[in-house]
Amino acid sequence: MIRFDGAGKRHPDGTIAVEGLDLDVPTGRITVLVGPSGCGKTTLLRMVNRMVEPTSGRVLLDGTDVAELEPAKLRRGIGYVIQQAGLFPHRKVIDNIATVPYLLGWDRKKARARAAELLELVGLAPETGKRYPFQLSGGQQQRVGVARALAADPPVLLMDEPFSAVDPVVRAGLQDELLRLQSELHKTVLFVTHDIEEAVRLGDQVVVLRGQGRIAQLADPHTLLTAPADDDVAAFLGRDRGLRGLGLRAASAVTVRPVDDGLRYGGWELALDDERRPIGWIDRDAVAAELHPAAGYRPDTDTLRTALDAAVLSPAGVAVALDADGRATGTASREAVLTALAAPGGATGGTDSETDGETDGATGGATGDEPDSTDRATGQTGGATGGR
Amino acid sequence: MDDEPIVRWYWIGDHLGYLGNLLADHAVIALLPVLFGLLLAVPLGLACARFPRLYQPLAAVFNIVYALPAVAVFMLLIPYTGLATQATVMIPLTFYALAVLLPTIVDGLRAVPDAVRQAATAMGYGPWHRLTAVELPSALPYLIAGLRVAAVSSISLASVGALVGRGGLGYLFMDGFQRTFPTPIVAGIVLIAALAVAVDLALVGARRLLAPWAVREKGAGR
Repeated sequence: MIRFDGAGKRHPDGTIAVEGLDLDVPTGRITVLVGPSGCGKTTLLRMVNRMVEPTSGRVLLDGTDVAELEPAKLRRGIGYVIQQAGLFPHRKVIDNIATVPYLLGWDRKKARARAAELLELVGLAPETGKRYPFQLSGGQQQRVGVARALAADPPVLLMDEPFSAVDPVVRAGLQDELLRLQSELHKTVLFVTHDIEEAVRLGDQVVVLRGQGRIAQLADPHTLLTAPADDDVAAFLGRDRGLRGLGLRAASAVTVRPVDDGLRYGGWELALDDERRPIGWIDRDAVAAELHPAAGYRPDTDTLRTALDAAVLSPAGVAVALDADGRATGTASREAVLTALAAPGGATGGTDSETDGETDGATGGATGDEPDSTDRATGQTGGATGGR
Repeated sequence: MDDEPIVRWYWIGDHLGYLGNLLADHAVIALLPVLFGLLLAVPLGLACARFPRLYQPLAAVFNIVYALPAVAVFMLLIPYTGLATQATVMIPLTFYALAVLLPTIVDGLRAVPDAVRQAATAMGYGPWHRLTAVELPSALPYLIAGLRVAAVSSISLASVGALVGRGGLGYLFMDGFQRTFPTPIVAGIVLIAALAVAVDLALVGARRLLAPWAVREKGAGR
């Protein structure tokens, strides 16, 4: 565990970067520090590996004051990932990844074998190892950066806006990758970002900071989205926080009507192929038979947000529940999805009504015949966040 | 004299061995100082990167040295190093090379991206280790660019050494001038240019070999 014990940083010119912070970063979990630029989040992160020395208070790593540890040794036991990756331009990818093992004095063969393992772990092809960093895309460079941080299997990982410099699609992929890695590796991760979406997506615990490293709120993502501590936090979370909160709840909460109980909803009927895969919705009143795309979701892996999104996108207002092979197991109407939304999802009663209010507003716009373009836009983000 | 042609080929044919000796002498006189300059510039450059306050005064000193006319420095050195010795010519050339190399090394070290420096620190490199293992290799393209300038200018400057009796190919210019016989002058110019081109190409090759990752600077991609 990392413990900030009244840790503060005052610059020589008298400006205060961090006033004095108490915070526990639990072992094996992802803790995200999020806040506007200048809130002191990077300063806090760097106190852990002594790249910044606190001017007051202490930072404890598993009970030991880091100030008592030799900086170079301390750092070799802490993974560090930064925004521009910071790969060494003159070293091949494989040797970049093996940096810390080399520093620890491993022999070359062993260090490279370890680096090759990590290359695979972060989803890069083995031949990538022979390239130089400049030959990689931004997203690939970040993957190498993560692999390098993990090379000596440090229990603690510090990540300073690691995915901020890549485009949104790549970023979503890297976030998924980090969550996948974390589910295998269980590192103690301290992650800094200015992007609340990212914070909510990755964090087991999210620390919202305001100026000078003061904690505005410390909560799990669901609580944060549904019960912000004050108006400032609510404003920082953004207007669609209710909707985004659905991205944290499992789609399994929706009651599904089994396929055998019928596929007709009003004037619409869902057409399936022989394998029970959805082909599309047919408007039974239309003169010419025309197929309208059927949006689906996976009750076992997707979130409520994806289920709602599928229902909103469907011309019949009905989401199709799919199994792992893409076969329809049943259908869920908007009403069924909304019923699931209204059920308490671990939040307090007072905030639940708030969530419902915003969700209603979002679906309201889509009750017409065609989902409008804003709904499509939300739909796409919903799809992208579906992995959680 | 008026009907003296620019080049008398038979003279060149008769003096091939002599020209070869002068060329070898010239290469040693011109290039050893660049090597010495490099050996001094690397530690000085690293020290300047580690302690930035060193750089300004050092740069000022070497700029002044660079501004001194070579001939004047040769004359000053003769009482100590003697006439027609290699040292008389090579000591000033070493300082000229140093004056070119020091700023390029310091610039190269400063051009290392901050992210690279921070990543190295965060992974557990101490300040000196980081300088030598990460920043210096990253600065290699700059270093080689500096070497190219230093080597070519040293090859050109070395001919002035002929005035104090040790100038390699520069001797051909004095000889041709005193005898109003242009052939040695032309031969000297051609050989000096050829030496400069050969050394420059060798350095470009060294860069390709030692810093294959630096091709991006020319936008060549892979």
